[in-house]
Amino acid sequence: MFEPLDKLLTNPIRLMVMSVLVKVSSCDFNYLKKITESTQGNLSVQLKKLAESGYISIAKSFENNYPKTKCNVTKKGILAFENHFKNLKKYQNIDL
Amino acid sequence: MNHSEQINLINDAINKTKEQLKPTSVNFIFWGLLISIMSIIHYSFPELIQKTAYSSLLFWTLIPVVGMIFTIVYNIKIGGRIGYETHIGRALKLVWGVFNIAWITLVIMSVFKKQNPVQEILFLLGVILLITALLIRFTPLIIGGIAVVACSVLITISPSINVLLINAAATFFGLFIPGLSLYLSKNNV
Repeated sequence: MFEPLDKLLTNPIRLMVMSVLVKVSSCDFNYLKKITESTQGNLSVQLKKLAESGYISIAKSFENNYPKTKCNVTKKGILAFENHFKNLKKYQNIDL
Repeated sequence: MNHSEQINLINDAINKTKEQLKPTSVNFIFWGLLISIMSIIHYSFPELIQKTAYSSLLFWTLIPVVGMIFTIVYNIKIGGRIGYETHIGRALKLVWGVFNIAWITLVIMSVFKKQNPVQEILFLLGVILLITALLIRFTPLIIGGIAVVACSVLITISPSINVLLINAAATFFGLFIPGLSLYLSKNNV
């Protein structure tokens, strides 16, 4: 039985963000920007979409007068990512 | 993006986000050296360290507390530079945080009991080192943890042994040497 892929996670930046966040306990914006090689504006938009879907939570604070954004994956996000990965594996077997 | 490309992208992101063990090893090196040197100083100049009733207590609390502050500041700075905290990293932070509280509690308890806390502290340190070693899967640290627990047992079975020398040996071989080998290794979790 093949389920449709989660459209939110087919975007490369969002998928990369989710991949990092499932591995770590918390991650800051600058690291996500570096690893996704995206612009600040684009990454902000993608993070907002993930947060609006309840996949991640975003915490903003100030450190030495500089704004700091930290992201965490939620339980809903972990479940969605796991399902997406399982489905990808199933589709990959068919592709082969 | 096709399915294989998506899987590759996931693998790539996960592989790039590794536990950074080098900064962790600096903590072991620092504490191993500090406690070993302090033990040797106390052993070599007992008349200086035990000059008054509280001088020894101050020596063994003030310097480690300064060391603790230095370690906390260093770890916060490194954490900010790395940009993420792994689940193992968070677990280690909590375990060592609990150790710090337990260490201070043991020292305070020993003052009331008028008893040397080295044996209890070494046992606790050995257990925490073993937990850390098993979490990061690093054999030299497992050996170091066992060595520290063994030193604690040694104090129990032979009370005549010099506690300061045992303390110096335990922290040197249990913290400094494994810390140095962790620093020099290319291992990452």
